[in-house]
Amino acid sequence: MRKKHSGRLAITQYSVWSFLFVVVPLIFIAYYAFTDNNFSFTTENITRFFTATSNLTEDDGTVREVRTYILIFMRSLKLAAISTAISLLLGYPIAYIMARASEKAQKTMMTLVMIPMWMNFLIRTYAWMTILQDTGIINGIIGKLGIGPLHMIGTETAVVIGMVYDYFPYMILPLYSIMAKMDTRLFEAARDLGCNSFGVLRRVIFPLSLPGVISGVTMVLIPSISTFYISQKLGNGKFFLIGDAIEGQYVANNLHFAAAIAFILMVILLVCMALVKYFTAKHVYGGE
Amino acid sequence: MKTASKIYTAIIFVFLFAPIAVLLVFSFNEGKSLSVFTGFSLKWYRELLRDTDTLQALKNTIILAFSATAISTVMGTAAAVGINRLRSRWYKAAMNTVTNIPMTNPDIITGISLMLMFVFVGRLFGASTSLNFWTMLIAHVTFCLPYVILQVLPKLQQMDKSLPEAAMDLGCTPLKAFLKVELPEIMPGIVTGAIMAFTLSLDDFVISYFTAGNGFTTLPIRIYGMTKKTVTPKMYALATIIFFVTLTLLLLNNVVDNDGVKKEKKETGKVKRVAMIVLAVIIALIGSVGIFAGRKETVTLNVYNWGEYISDGSEGTFDTIREFEKWYEETYGVKMVVNYDTYTSNEDMYNKISSGAVSYDVIIPSDYMIARMADEGMLEELDFDNIPNYSNIDENFRGLYYDKDNRYSVPYAYGIIGIIYNANVVDETDTGGWDLMWNEKYSGDILQFNNSRDTFGTAMYKLGLDVNSTDKEVWETARAELLTQRPLCYGQVMDEIFNLMESGEASIGAYYAGDYFTMADNQAGDVDLQFYYPERTNFYIDAMCIPKGSQNKELAEIFINYMLSEEPAIANAEYTYYASPNRIVYENETYLEDMGEDVIEVLYPEIENFSELYNTYAYRNLDTDMLDYINTLWETVKIN
Repeated sequence: MRKKHSGRLAITQYSVWSFLFVVVPLIFIAYYAFTDNNFSFTTENITRFFTATSNLTEDDGTVREVRTYILIFMRSLKLAAISTAISLLLGYPIAYIMARASEKAQKTMMTLVMIPMWMNFLIRTYAWMTILQDTGIINGIIGKLGIGPLHMIGTETAVVIGMVYDYFPYMILPLYSIMAKMDTRLFEAARDLGCNSFGVLRRVIFPLSLPGVISGVTMVLIPSISTFYISQKLGNGKFFLIGDAIEGQYVANNLHFAAAIAFILMVILLVCMALVKYFTAKHVYGGE
Repeated sequence: MKTASKIYTAIIFVFLFAPIAVLLVFSFNEGKSLSVFTGFSLKWYRELLRDTDTLQALKNTIILAFSATAISTVMGTAAAVGINRLRSRWYKAAMNTVTNIPMTNPDIITGISLMLMFVFVGRLFGASTSLNFWTMLIAHVTFCLPYVILQVLPKLQQMDKSLPEAAMDLGCTPLKAFLKVELPEIMPGIVTGAIMAFTLSLDDFVISYFTAGNGFTTLPIRIYGMTKKTVTPKMYALATIIFFVTLTLLLLNNVVDNDGVKKEKKETGKVKRVAMIVLAVIIALIGSVGIFAGRKETVTLNVYNWGEYISDGSEGTFDTIREFEKWYEETYGVKMVVNYDTYTSNEDMYNKISSGAVSYDVIIPSDYMIARMADEGMLEELDFDNIPNYSNIDENFRGLYYDKDNRYSVPYAYGIIGIIYNANVVDETDTGGWDLMWNEKYSGDILQFNNSRDTFGTAMYKLGLDVNSTDKEVWETARAELLTQRPLCYGQVMDEIFNLMESGEASIGAYYAGDYFTMADNQAGDVDLQFYYPERTNFYIDAMCIPKGSQNKELAEIFINYMLSEEPAIANAEYTYYASPNRIVYENETYLEDMGEDVIEVLYPEIENFSELYNTYAYRNLDTDMLDYINTLWETVKIN
């Protein structure tokens, strides 16, 4: 009886808080998304997202008509997906190394992963500008070696570097915390049963680390999709992403359309997350 | 294998610390630039220690981060346990979805939606301002919670469910079973979650910005406010200090922790940690109550201005706000405190004030925004009997379009857009007009603005079109012109132009005359920045106004009058490098000498014709449909 009671209290406080400060604000967004400037009902903001068109000039000079916001969304998704994939590929081994290190080394490494994030985000991004510029530090170094110059700032590469850098710890930490808990005897058992190193990774480590992978991917993908600061600073403002569109609409005092874009973005992301959860849950529990 | 992983670890940490190394080095820069190192100096550290506003912001940030972390860690852990125990699939799915929402929402939307809600609730209770420290704390706890939950929940799922049951079979109460069995198992998740929460709270700008009330500025808000001009190495110095302090503390903590390896010691360590968290909460709460209680005793003036737009005592300058407080106390014998907050754009300021979230006594918007706010009845009429120094404002700066009858505003500064170029790259013969920004010879070296009105402005002034046209065809023509320029551009930037021009990274860009001098002061050795006005260009004025809802209108007028008096007016003009509409500034011998003839010539061209030029070329306030049209059109330029 008491167990049930304390469990209920734990969930109730969170339910109430979430309702007040997560769900109710969402109702405000939905309300703005489905109303016009005079607060009368309209679906115009939503349809505008899907139907607005404009002319796009390709690199070869041909002009074609595109759906503006769909294009912006796809571009944001592409950059965010690349950044997330790179974060996962780079973060997975380091999380594994951390998890297998001595306890002292684990703590030190975790501290070192988090510390850069305690410097202000804007200031870190400024520092990246200094590193990546044509007259910047990397080009200064490789120029002395007689290579280059390498044009990085204002390219997709620079934006991806910025995204990976800024959200990297949010990939490493969940991976690390789940790997640190893994029972290493399972790896030995798999080896005894004839698995090679790759087999252990694929059949044992990876499936066990899936919840961490999902948290990591979520925590990197979502902020990368909606960022507007990194694309402005490291992309030289040449990349117009969905976050820029929302911010631009807000600055233009068009709160209703800004809310509509946000609403659509949120629905898409929640559906994706639900699908990922559904399929991985099947995979994890189906495999057991 | 061992060496391979060591090398890999090293590479990752080089990546993580490369920018930290950069800001460490540039914090010792003698000059103001963040990309050109001119010499070693401790100047920015001295500046930082003198900057009480920044240190106050740092204190606020830490108080907020500790409180938000403590609350969200406790609530989040409990929530994760609760979610894990839920039997109902439906309830569980609902809670998981709700947990994901703050993470799937862009910050800007979380911020705006919370602001809308707080304002709505504030109105219900008839509060004059609905935002304060507590709204900000609620917002921070809300966006930190999911990170804690998502760290703790997998740990709970990983744990053997029979363990707590076994403990209870052996006589533990559920609470004891939780504390003895579950809590140690999930502790790593809780710690990671808490660290993440702390980090997020420390670094958040967007959500804080929307939920911050009067007079509680955090460090990110303060730093973003500086980007109207440019971030100075002072902030790098602050980051460097934070870096070394946290590094030392954390590494020390690790060493101490690892020396006392024994299990029992760990148990007491845990208790200590919990005690520390509780203590932090108490300190934070007392501290925050103190902040507000302390303020109520005295008269308060709330000022809302652009970042970096007032002489603030840095580098030995006049500290306008502190001096005003002193002057007021000496003159009236009453203690008075100024709450000084900053914004980054007219639109941000407008959105925040019009929502009723905050209330200020003095604001300094630009011309078109004054027109709009006056139209919408958001400004108080000034009582000029309280502002006798208004007589220092020249006729040329009165009766301008945005305030024809001189009822709402007192001009503070004005500026004119011109073209800045690097004479070591650009031929003298190519200069003179807007054409330079379309010259294919300099492809990849040209900077364009990163906002709709200024971007279209360059094309419209170039083609001789009316920048305030309501004819959509005119805007289409400008758009076509901008598309021909797109491939030639280095990028679309705002404050980044300072570093890009100073380092020679880009060679051509349009910006404000005053800012050109800041850039020229900091240019690299191989860069020679020059400036000219093209044939038609933008003029703007920023003016002091009192918004409706001001709690102390007379005090606001006294402040405006003070700003017009000699010492502050000159100090502000010298600090911002912008031209002053105040006669006692531009006719003052010392000011003219300090600035130098060349500078004065550029800043004050044809001052006798100002009102005519201004009324012809300045941006007017357009109606919302037109603004929406222009913004959408600009988006179609940007996607190319």
